Amino acid sequence: MKRMWLAFIAVVVVAGLMAIPAAGVQLVFWTHEDPNRTPLEERYVDEFEAMYPGVTIQRVAYPSGEMAQVVLTAFAAHQGPDIFNQEQSPEFPYIVNQRVAPVNPVALGYPSVQAIYDAYQTGTLDGATYEGNLYGLPLEFTNWCLFVNTKYFREVGLNPGTDYPKTWEEMVTVSQQLAMRNGDILTRRGFDFRYPYYLTFLLPMVEQLGGALLSEDGQTGIINDAAWLQVLNYFQQWGPNGLNLGSPTYTAARKEFNKDNNAIAMCESGLYQIDRIRTENPAFYASNEWMIIPFPVWENAVNNYASNTYAHYYMVNAESTSEKQEWAWKFIAFMLSHGEEYLLNCGLVQPTKTLMASEAYQSLPYAEIFAADIARAKSQPLNVANPQLEAALKVAIESVMLSGVTPEQALQTLRQTVNEILQD
Amino acid sequence: MRAKGKRASGMERRRARWGWAFVLPSLAFFGLFSFYPIFNAFYTSLFKQKLLSLAPPEYIGLGNYTYLLHSPTFWNSVRATAIFTACTFVLLVGVSLLLAAFIVSRKRVQKTLQMVFFSPAVVSSVVAAAVWLLIFDPRGLGNQVVNGIMQTPGVDHKWLASATMLQLSTVLVYFWKYVGYFTIIFIAGLASIPATLHEAARIDGAGSWQSFWKVSFPLLKPTIVLVSVMAMIQCLRTFSTQYVFYQAGAPRGPIDVIAFGIYNTAIRDHQIGRASAMSVILFCIMLFLSWMQFRVSRSDDVSYL
Repeated sequence: MKRMWLAFIAVVVVAGLMAIPAAGVQLVFWTHEDPNRTPLEERYVDEFEAMYPGVTIQRVAYPSGEMAQVVLTAFAAHQGPDIFNQEQSPEFPYIVNQRVAPVNPVALGYPSVQAIYDAYQTGTLDGATYEGNLYGLPLEFTNWCLFVNTKYFREVGLNPGTDYPKTWEEMVTVSQQLAMRNGDILTRRGFDFRYPYYLTFLLPMVEQLGGALLSEDGQTGIINDAAWLQVLNYFQQWGPNGLNLGSPTYTAARKEFNKDNNAIAMCESGLYQIDRIRTENPAFYASNEWMIIPFPVWENAVNNYASNTYAHYYMVNAESTSEKQEWAWKFIAFMLSHGEEYLLNCGLVQPTKTLMASEAYQSLPYAEIFAADIARAKSQPLNVANPQLEAALKVAIESVMLSGVTPEQALQTLRQTVNEILQD
Repeated sequence: MRAKGKRASGMERRRARWGWAFVLPSLAFFGLFSFYPIFNAFYTSLFKQKLLSLAPPEYIGLGNYTYLLHSPTFWNSVRATAIFTACTFVLLVGVSLLLAAFIVSRKRVQKTLQMVFFSPAVVSSVVAAAVWLLIFDPRGLGNQVVNGIMQTPGVDHKWLASATMLQLSTVLVYFWKYVGYFTIIFIAGLASIPATLHEAARIDGAGSWQSFWKVSFPLLKPTIVLVSVMAMIQCLRTFSTQYVFYQAGAPRGPIDVIAFGIYNTAIRDHQIGRASAMSVILFCIMLFLSWMQFRVSRSDDVSYL
């Protein structure tokens, strides 16, 4: 009995010793999975730890689709990581609720916050700016253009260099020529939208016609019914109950595009898609049977807007100790000092003026198309209710495409839902 | 044998102490990871609380419950859950019972059939839904098989697009995944019925169907109650299939079951108080329906011995 108690005490003591944290700073870094970025950042972790032996960094990658809820759950339990990144829409509530720390310009290697703004392209830090403070630096800055499989264009007698769609109306005509069907079933779509990211591609379509999701003061939803009805009518015609050119229930267009398997001729995506084509289908990449074209505009557009831009920002947990926050910003600065490596290895654009003017960026295929579209783009709107607003847009679009709801009914429901969300 | 009312002896008390010692860790684990979250959900449901907010939660009493009872979205969730549960429950219990009776009658291939029907149950719900997404793609096996059987080439049956077909698709996935699981339970129940009863029935001139209906079925009542309660609870808390289908582009309304609503309220809307209230309501629905099943099934136990 005595030996049992001695053994029990020994186990408790050893367990206690193991629980004592090691000396030095330990940072927890959560990010989303990216097969191209992972080896790069794991190398940065090793290099940073070698430079600063007292600092250890634990990098954990989660599937993209789970990242938002994993980080949210952790922060709700006050167990959030020291460093994390998300898209600006789900990140914004963290800023508003003061769950992330303002940037430390000195730790980042800048003399002041203004110097950080001066180092980046105008507007690209707007997604992490709130009430005059900056809360993150961009891991990637994205806008979408259209990727085109030129081989399918030539198959149906179209010249991809001149006959690509420049307006949404032309998109219908071209897609009808490109589409292949087995009865009702589309075996090849000409083009399909990037459902359900409606804040990125749908809002600009409405704003091109002079409409808006929210009023200037943010108190009222759905501005300019004519603009909204034109867009809703368009999607009703696009869907399976109209011209049957596409549907949210088909496999995502950008996933089919890389396979070059006669499933889709055009899709919406960002600059990173080029790297994914190269990795997933080297033969297709090398064939040059693809090209990139600008985001279309309506024939009766009053604004020449491209797809909304958005960014993933690296942010620091406000509940981490001051020492950890300082080291977190230093590590972020170290990672982001490799802008060209992120660009060339992962297709990720970190919009510093230096990188955008560099030979590495300028020589990327179709970089000028993306840059021109960025110049005519707005940033995705920032609102704590963005996930709910996007869900309301999803219901509106899918109800007219799939459920036989008229555009007028869908617009009425959308207005009611958006105004309820704003009041809540 | 101890006389009624007599206090336990010292040896019995020592044995009881050891029993408690072995059971306590499990009780503590169950208390921490089951009872505590349930009580915490009750408590949280009385507050207006946002997940990321550092402000103290605002006590609103039954405010969340009042909001939900007046919310068209919540009542749509109740409707979607009721439709899904009614369809899936009837299919699961009925077909698994018939399947069990069939498998038990096939002595030679019994093990193989059990393995074949049970194997979908070991696949995770998310993986199962992802596989069926490929089948329900307009170009997938679903349309090919149905069009082949019905000789309707090129028809898109809109498995994920039309409201009715979408609900049918979720029922199909759930049925496919769990029918084998409940069949195994029924097989175990059938195996516990003494063979002598069937022999006696056969000697008295009973056919296979009479033997099943008059002998096996009444003696299976405890197993049927168990399967009914388990199937009902499983159906009421369905989530993964609806979530995966919605993420893949299916409309939300027809498949917006209560568990999915809880997820959206907590994770998308950050309204943890309201989500907790929905969880409490779902818990009460499960409790009530389970109690009803036990009450309806309560009758004199059947015994032929």
